[in-house]
Amino acid sequence: MKKMIISVLGKDRPGIIAAVTRILFEQDCNIENVSQTILQNEFSGIFIVSVPKVLSEGDLHRHLDTGLSPMGLHVYEKRLSTNEESQTEVDSEPFVVVTKGPDRKGLVASITAIMAAHRVNVTNLQAVFKGGDDPNANIMIYEVDIPADANQPALRRDLREKALALSLDLSIQHKLIFEAINRV
Amino acid sequence: MFTQREILSVVEMLKNENLDVRTVTLGLNLLDCASDDIGRFTDNIYTRITGAAKNLVKICDEVGDKYGIPVVNKRISVSPIAVAGAPFNAQQMLSVATTLNEAASKARVDFIGGFSALVEKGIARGDRALIEAIPEALTGTQRVCASVNVASTRAGINIDAVLLMGRTIKEAARRTADRDGLACAKLCVFANIPQDIPFMAGAYLGVGEADAVINVGVSGPGVVKKAIDRATASNPNLNLGQISEIIKHTAYKVTRIGELIGREVAQRLGIKFGVVDLSLAPTPNVGDSVGEIFQSLGLASIGVPGSTVALALLNDAVKKGGAFASSKVGGLSGAFIPVSEDLNISQAAALGHLSIEKLEAMTCVCSVGLDMVAIPGDTSQETLAAIIADEMAIGVINKKTTATRLIPVPGKKAGEHAFFGGLLGESIIMPVNNATGENRFLRRGGLIPSPIHSLVN
Repeated sequence: MKKMIISVLGKDRPGIIAAVTRILFEQDCNIENVSQTILQNEFSGIFIVSVPKVLSEGDLHRHLDTGLSPMGLHVYEKRLSTNEESQTEVDSEPFVVVTKGPDRKGLVASITAIMAAHRVNVTNLQAVFKGGDDPNANIMIYEVDIPADANQPALRRDLREKALALSLDLSIQHKLIFEAINRV
Repeated sequence: MFTQREILSVVEMLKNENLDVRTVTLGLNLLDCASDDIGRFTDNIYTRITGAAKNLVKICDEVGDKYGIPVVNKRISVSPIAVAGAPFNAQQMLSVATTLNEAASKARVDFIGGFSALVEKGIARGDRALIEAIPEALTGTQRVCASVNVASTRAGINIDAVLLMGRTIKEAARRTADRDGLACAKLCVFANIPQDIPFMAGAYLGVGEADAVINVGVSGPGVVKKAIDRATASNPNLNLGQISEIIKHTAYKVTRIGELIGREVAQRLGIKFGVVDLSLAPTPNVGDSVGEIFQSLGLASIGVPGSTVALALLNDAVKKGGAFASSKVGGLSGAFIPVSEDLNISQAAALGHLSIEKLEAMTCVCSVGLDMVAIPGDTSQETLAAIIADEMAIGVINKKTTATRLIPVPGKKAGEHAFFGGLLGESIIMPVNNATGENRFLRRGGLIPSPIHSLVN
C-alpha cells in the first residue's frame, strides 16, 4: 500500500463525489480522508487514499482522467511520502483574525504576508468579497495557529498597522472565546 | 470551524458592548493563621495574603491580554476576621484592618473584603470587637471592606445587631464627614450572606470554603442593553417573552466568557476555581448601566411603575442563561441596582422617578438591596436600623440575600449631592420618611424568630 493525495477541480454538478469514489473503489483504493468545498459554483475536492502496490501512479491517473474529464473535471495526484505525514507539530495557540473593510486588490496577500513573517499558520480562511465600500460586505475570517514562541505584541502591532493602512477594521481573538460562546 | 455569523456576532459583542470580566476575586482562608498574639496573627495573615496573591494581578492581566477581554478588578476576600481573630479586642481589630490594607496594597488589589462578622443569631466577643472597630477601620484604610450578616432565614433577624449596625453606620459616616461619609460605602449589612461573593463590598470567604479559591464576577449590563436594542430595532413588536429569551442568550454568552477566563486564571495560579457570580454589575459609565436596560425595555426610567416586574424579568432571564452556561454558579447572581454606582439610576433618583420605597420593592426580585443609597445626614440611628430591618425581612422571608449599603451623608440634606469618587460614583441624596424620628418598635431589640418555612428538615 502507498498513499496518494488526489485533487479534483471543476464546475460543480451532482455526481462528482460519486464518480470519483466509484473509480477509486473499482481500483481497490481505500479513502482515508476527504475534504470538499464549493466556491461560486466551482467544486474542489481533496482525497487522501491508500492505493494497492500493483496499481501504478500512471494507471491511477488514466482511470481517473478517463472517468472525470467528460464531466469537465481536472485531476491531479501526488504521492505522499511518510516524511510529509509526520510533520513535526509546532506548539501553538489557535486564534481567529477578522478584517472588515473596503474591497481592494491584495488584501489577503498583505495580511497573510505579515502572518507568514511571524510563522503564523492559516488553518482556515473564509473570504467574502461582494465588492464596494460597505465594510460588512467585505469580510475575511482567518483561523490561524500562532506559535507559542511568536512575538505576539509585535504580530498584533504589525497586523494593526497594516489594517490601518488598508482602512480595515481588524480584530484578533483567541479561538477558545468563539468555542465558549458558540459550542455547548 | 465556525460559521461567519457565529464569528461576526462574537466580534461585535467584544468590540462594541463593554464586555469585560468585572472582577476576579481570590478567596483566602485565614483560619490557620490563628494566634492569640496580635503581632503573630497580623504577621501570619500578611504573609499568607501577600504570598498567595503575589501573581494575582499579573496573571489576570496576562489572561486578559491573551483573550482581549480585560479583567477590570482584581480583589481578595478573606475568612471573616471576627472568626479568625476572635480573641482580639476592638483596638487590636484595628491593627488587623491596617494589616489587611497593607497586604492589599502590596498585592496591588483595589479592595480586600472580609472584615466581617456573622451575628444573625447572637453576637460573640470577637464579633462585638470587630463591629466596634468598623468605623475607625474603614476611616483609616482605603482598601478594606466590611460586612455584617445580621439575619438569615434559618436564624431570624437579630434586631440587637441591626441596632448596633445603625449606630455603627452613623459613627462611620461621622468619622468620614469630610468625604461625604465614604466609610459607609465600604460597609454592607446582610441577610443570608453567601460565602462566595466576588463583588465588593460584600465579599468574604465563608468558613465552609477551601484554603484558596478563585471566584469570578462577570460583567454584562452594556451587553444586555445592546442586545435588547439590536433586537427591538430589527423587530419593534417583540413581546416580553421574546425579550426574555434574548436576555437569556446574552447572559449565557457573557457567563461562558467569564468562566473561561476565571478557570484559566485559577489554573495558572494553581488554585481551585470556585464560582461564577452572574450578577449584572454596573459602573458609573454611560453604556455600562443596569438603569439603561429599563429604558431599553420601554420604561421611562427605572423607578416608574413597571420597574419591579421589569427587574424580575431581567433577573430571572440572566439567571437562566447563566445557570446553563456555567457548572458552578454562586455569589449573588442577580442584577445589582446600586444608586450612586450607576449613572442612570442616580439620575432617576435626581429626577424624582426613584424613591427608597420603590428601591426596596425592587429588592424583592433581585439579588441585592438598598445599595449605595445616599440619605440625609441627620437620619437617626434608629431610622437607619429600621430601614435595615425592613430590608432584612425581605431577605429572610423570601429565602434570599438582601443587603444595605446606606450612606447618611453628614451635614447634607435630601436633594443635595454626595460624591464618593471612582467606582463608588456620586448621587443625589434621597429623602427618607421619618428620618429624624424615633422608632420604639426597633428599640425593643431581641431576635425576631425565623419564619415557619425555615423548618424544612
